[in-house]
This record gives sequence, structure tokens and C-alpha cells, in this order.
Amino acid sequence: MTNKSFQPRSILYAVIGVVCLIAAWQIIGVSGIAGLTVPTLTAVLAIYRKAPLAALLYRSAIATTGSALYGLVVGTLLGIATALLAHLLPILRPGLDRLAVTLNAVPAIAIGPIIIIMVSREFTPALLATIPVFFLVYVAVISGLRSSSPSLAAMMTTFGARKIQLLRYLDLPAALPSLLSGLKISVTAAMIGTIVGEWFGAPTGLGVVILNALGNFQVPLMWATVLLVATISLTGYGLLTLAERWAERRFA
Amino acid sequence: MAAIQIQNVSKRFRLNRKQEFLALENINLSIRSGEFIAIIGPSGCGKSTLLHLVAALESTSSGTIQIDGESPEALREKHQLGIAFQEHALLPWLSIEANLALPFKIAGLPIDKERIRDLTQLVGLGGFEQARPRQLSGGMRQRAAIARSLCLDPKLLLLDEPFGALDAVTRRHMNVELQRIWQEKQLTTILVTHSVDEAIFLADRIVVLSGRPGNIAEVLDVPFPRPRTTECMHTEQFHKLADYLTGLLEPKEPA
Repeated sequence: MTNKSFQPRSILYAVIGVVCLIAAWQIIGVSGIAGLTVPTLTAVLAIYRKAPLAALLYRSAIATTGSALYGLVVGTLLGIATALLAHLLPILRPGLDRLAVTLNAVPAIAIGPIIIIMVSREFTPALLATIPVFFLVYVAVISGLRSSSPSLAAMMTTFGARKIQLLRYLDLPAALPSLLSGLKISVTAAMIGTIVGEWFGAPTGLGVVILNALGNFQVPLMWATVLLVATISLTGYGLLTLAERWAERRFA
Repeated sequence: MAAIQIQNVSKRFRLNRKQEFLALENINLSIRSGEFIAIIGPSGCGKSTLLHLVAALESTSSGTIQIDGESPEALREKHQLGIAFQEHALLPWLSIEANLALPFKIAGLPIDKERIRDLTQLVGLGGFEQARPRQLSGGMRQRAAIARSLCLDPKLLLLDEPFGALDAVTRRHMNVELQRIWQEKQLTTILVTHSVDEAIFLADRIVVLSGRPGNIAEVLDVPFPRPRTTECMHTEQFHKLADYLTGLLEPKEPA
């Protein structure tokens, strides 16, 4: 297996790139050319060592991650179930396709208020995370289920396989790499949905901290929170990238 | 073993709303139980279509196909059909052993590990049970596909250009192997092939299809006694037959 992103040279370039970015950030912060809006990286990192703020960030990160995970799990299950339904009952497929697209076309920021009055403020972040995950997983799985080769299907049919056996032994394993790449991009979508949901007045969460920090002009705290959101997102993305690579080696 | 009756079979494909394409026209063929039939013909003559009809992967437009007095679907539903395609059609994520277990799973039968081991030995893949398809050569994958087609002791074996993607040397070797396997089982076999040599070497009878629409131009008995060795491919009689068949495959008018 050769993978470009794991070659020593690529790793070197990546390290150089990251170091440059960090240096640039620090220089901009120290020089003050961006005014008060860009604090130094060291000032941002110092936030994580201030006890009350660190505790606040920790509590909020738990809440945000929880909502995002809820969205990921429920959205994924709904997406898979709907894709299976469309796959097994082709007559439903055009309708379900359009429903998923329509649901996804409504911006979270627009549908948020409706969701707040439908459910609760506490539950809005999780629900706004669920919607894009559902869409992304649905699209990934429905195309993954069709990705298996026709000659494999013909082979199994001649051995007398029923439709459900084709699904179990052929279509589902073949769809796994596609599902995981859908999940990978779902992580960021779930985070966006959660943060937007929290802005609509959730009691806790990193989105709430960002809004409060904005209101109180706590610029380093705002940066520290955003950095934390990005870290959580990237961790999930990284883990699923590894899972996807494994699935591609194993199932493609 | 299965005897096959193909009566007045035609197959039309709809190209679009107005046009139809006649792939096979009025095919009549009677295959004895335990017979090895090779179907040859120019590209696009409907050889594979005929095989797909026998496998019930397509349905006839008119005429009937009966296998031991039953429809091809009935045979398929009883899991008594073995098939190997030009593409080896192994599931890439399963080991060779698990690929051979698939027909048992489809048929809802307990997996006969001993039989799988015997078959992997028979096709010369002993020791490769745990390998994944991608770790094997094209020839080895094709052997695995043939072993799989024999898993459930089929009454009928259908081979659609199984060695088409192999180089000439491997192909000849596989022909010898296939004859050995077939002689052990003596099961009714239909082989679709481009190769005249392969057809003569393996078949009891050769069915020559002519193209567009496909119909039977000639049915020929192969006179060589079994077991046939590769030496028989060097005899004059073999060459004459091969030349004759090659002549039949050439287009009547310049294309």
C-alpha cells in the first residue's frame, strides 16, 4: 500500500506548513497589526490553564460533543435505514431522494427557530446535527449499495441467491467504504449543526461560550473555544479517515 | 446430471422505444446428460446470451428451455447450477475459503469444510484457503471460481469464457485441469469460448453460432478419445478440425 500522505516527505511538508502557520499567528498577535481581534497563540493557550475557564470549556465541550455524537449516531442510523428502504423498494427511491435533498436544502439557521418551538432548546443542537448527517449518510449509502459489480450479482443469482442475500453478502459489504467516507464528512457537518443549534439558546455548549465571549469581548476565550471545536472536529475526522482507509483495503 | 432441451428459442433485446435487436433466432439444441458442449461463434453472436438464458439470468422472448423437464429458474432455486464467468467474480473481501463457502450460505446449507478443502485441492489451490483474491494470480482466481461453481455438486455447469482473460500458456494449462476435473465429475457442461482449440480440446460436441441474429450454423462431434492430452492438439486431425471451425467463424462477406 502506498499512501502519499504517509510518505516521509509529505509528513515533513505538513510539519513545515503547520509550524509556519503557528509562527504567523504568533507574529500577527505580537505585532498587533490585527488589533485586539487576534490575540497571540500563547494568550489563547493560556486560557486552557485558567481553572474556571478550563472547567467551563470542559463542561461545554462535553455537552457539544454529546449533541454532535447524538446527531452522528441517530443521523447515521436514519440514513442507513432510509437508504436500505430505497434500495429494496426502488419505487420509493425518487421520492426519498427528493425528500433528503429538500431537507438538506433548508439551512440549519433557517429551520432552527421552528425546531426550538417543536422540541426544546436543550435538544435543538442534537437535532440540527442529525439532519445533515442523515442526508450525507443517505447519499453515501445509497450510492455505495449500487457500487457492487453486476457480475458478482449475476454470479450470486445463478447460485440461487434471494434479494435479501444479495444485500447481506454483496451490497452491504460493498457499501461500507462509501458509508465511512460519508461519515467522515458528516463529523464536520454534525459540529456545524450543533454549534448553530446552541446559538439558538441552548443552556450549555461551546456555541454558547462563543456567543457569551462575543458579548463580553473576551477575545482570547473566543479563540480558545473555536480552537477546541476545530480540535474535536478534526479528531473525529481523523479517526474516521483511518476507519475509511481500513475499509477500502478490506472491502474494495 | 441434467439433460437440456432448447426449443425454438429466440431472444430480442429492446434497444430503445422503436428499435429491437434480435440476438438469437430459433435455436434448437438437445444436450445429453453428462455431455460437454462448447459454444463458439464470432463476437456478438449471442453465445453468452444463450448461456444467460440457460442460467435464467435472462428470459427467452419465445421458445422454451427445459432442464430435466423443468425451467432453468427451478434448477437455480434448487441451487443446482454452477457458473464461472470470464471475470472470476470472487468477493474481494472474503478469503478463498469463505468465497467457496458462499454457495452453501446462499443455499442455507451447513458449510461443508471438508468439501471446500477437497475442491481447493482439486483445482490446485491447496494451501491458499486463507488468501484474498487480490493476492492470487488471474489463473488462480479463475481456478477458485471454478472450484466454487462445483461446491454444491451442481447438475449443470455453465462456463462463460472462463479463461478468456488468461495468457495462452496458463489457458492451456487450465484447459487440461478443467478436463481432469470434468472427467472426475462427468457433469453436464456448457462452455462458451472464443478459442477454437479450447473448444476442440474440451468438448464432446461443438455448437457453432453464426452472428446477427445468432443461430446455429453447425453442430460438430469431436472425435478425439478421452482423456485428451495436449499432444492431441498437435495431430493433423486436430489442425484440420481447427481450420474448418475457424473458417466457419470468418464473416461471409468482407466486413
